Amino acid sequence: MRHVIIGNSIAAIKAVEAIRSVDRKAPITIIADEHGPAYSRCLLPDYLAGTRSEADLSIRSRDFYRQMGVELVLGRAVTKVVPADREVELAGGLRYGYDRLLIATGSSTFMPPIPGLGGNGVFGLRSLGDAKAIQSALPGARRAVVVGAGLVGLEAAYALYRRGLEVTVVEKMPQILPQQFDRRAAHILRQDMETEGIRFILGCGIQEVAGPSLWSRVMGKAGQGVFLEGGERLKAELVVVATGAVPNVGLVQDTGIKVNRGIVVDRFMQTSIPGIYAAGDVAETRDAVTGLYGLSPIWPNAAAQGRIAGLNMAGVQREYSSMVGMQNAVEFREVPAIAVGIVNTPGDDYEVFADYRPDKNYYRKLVMKNDVLVGMILVGDIRSAGVLSGLIKKKANVRTFKHLLRRPDFGYGHLLVKLA
Amino acid sequence: MQRIMLHLDRCNGCLTCTLACAAAHSKSGHIIGAMMEGVQSRIHIQSVKGKAVPVLCRHCEEPACVDACMAGAMQKNPVTGIVTNDGNEQSCVGCWMCIMACPYGVIVQSKDGTVAVKCDGCKDREIPACVEACHTRALEYMDVDEFAAVKRQETAYQLAKPAV
Repeated sequence: MRHVIIGNSIAAIKAVEAIRSVDRKAPITIIADEHGPAYSRCLLPDYLAGTRSEADLSIRSRDFYRQMGVELVLGRAVTKVVPADREVELAGGLRYGYDRLLIATGSSTFMPPIPGLGGNGVFGLRSLGDAKAIQSALPGARRAVVVGAGLVGLEAAYALYRRGLEVTVVEKMPQILPQQFDRRAAHILRQDMETEGIRFILGCGIQEVAGPSLWSRVMGKAGQGVFLEGGERLKAELVVVATGAVPNVGLVQDTGIKVNRGIVVDRFMQTSIPGIYAAGDVAETRDAVTGLYGLSPIWPNAAAQGRIAGLNMAGVQREYSSMVGMQNAVEFREVPAIAVGIVNTPGDDYEVFADYRPDKNYYRKLVMKNDVLVGMILVGDIRSAGVLSGLIKKKANVRTFKHLLRRPDFGYGHLLVKLA
Repeated sequence: MQRIMLHLDRCNGCLTCTLACAAAHSKSGHIIGAMMEGVQSRIHIQSVKGKAVPVLCRHCEEPACVDACMAGAMQKNPVTGIVTNDGNEQSCVGCWMCIMACPYGVIVQSKDGTVAVKCDGCKDREIPACVEACHTRALEYMDVDEFAAVKRQETAYQLAKPAV
């Protein structure tokens, strides 16, 4: 059984480990367009901030690939998958045959249709290459504008701030982290960052990124920056775009593999074509909370999906137990915060418990529907996050111990006593 | 594979295990030193309606914390089965994804808020400090199969007891 894995991040790594846990011998080939060993994209802001070295971004030991007996084809992009021949084709026409194929190509920075985004001094932050490009633009840069106040945007903002830049974050929605948190939690986190001197402009889009020539034409003097929709003009030598990500599905176009926004997979992480699997940011799975198919581009889900895909590729039939697509932990300055599942209730049939103590930067919000916990936000005190998110994932009926969930110290002990 | 097994009914909440754990993870190696250094216990005793409930890491077969770790620091040792973010090649960044992921809630922030702290199975000791310190034998260190046998016997005993 010959395994080919396209991609070299956590989903691919987990798949390799899973295959090797049941099959020491089958040939495994990893093909990836990036050059180095697997690293953590989530730590790129730390690298950008200068607090973590490139070597410390690695997620596995140096001889991981050798130990696992993996053939590495790095720095080469797969241009298309040819299911009829059970082969993948690289740029230049070279082909690799497979019996089982895993597509774990991840996602790329979504570049919104804003004029001037293609110019110099405009970056995404999703790859080591991106981080290095920003780093090499740092000398001479005094001000930065970050477009988008999602997780990547805020991490980027904080990293640039730690590099000594004046940072302004511009977000179209009226709050930061609009996908993860509610307004109240977002407010606490924004204040925490504003204390450090990071500036926010919310509810405002970018009209145009102005390079030096446009800037000097409009402003009458040298500079560069961005023009906001409200007419405001921000001088900035550096612009980081963080308005979302798009799955890298280009290589399966016209192959018959079912693609919605990402590659649609079944409970076994298999695509619509048998023998071909997908995992990570590129895959669409069913969400544990909403029950709907969708992307879940976060690290833990990519890891779990990669592991399940690997087991199935190796012939061990294992189901992927749906994960919660939206679950994130953040800490920018000193307030830790975790959000899981549905936090902004879309209708009236939800029961919400909220305990907000602004003076303590403490906020606890629990969202229930029909006595099942479907979402939560914990700010300041995150002790019971794991147990609560476990209940969310399991869709456990919490009717008999609902009152206990409100306690900041709610823990597994409470459940253990109930079970005993 | 040896694991810490819990007999919930035997725990009287004396907290000796927490002190022993802190001592074992302190620089000084003893309880007073651990208190001076402010070392946290990695085993947690929760009070539930007056009953003491020890909550400790199970070193899961497929640990959610390992999947969640974006630094690669949290790892399960393939030989010992111990799950820890300490002493591996990759270091913890304190992103709290493991805290969010652990359904048992046994991972906590370090006091200085820089890293996640959890049971490391007392890698350098023959018997984990908490087990050694437990007077009531609520915590026992034994082979997983042996524990199953003990539990089976306990259950059989319960079933055989004449109904009251």
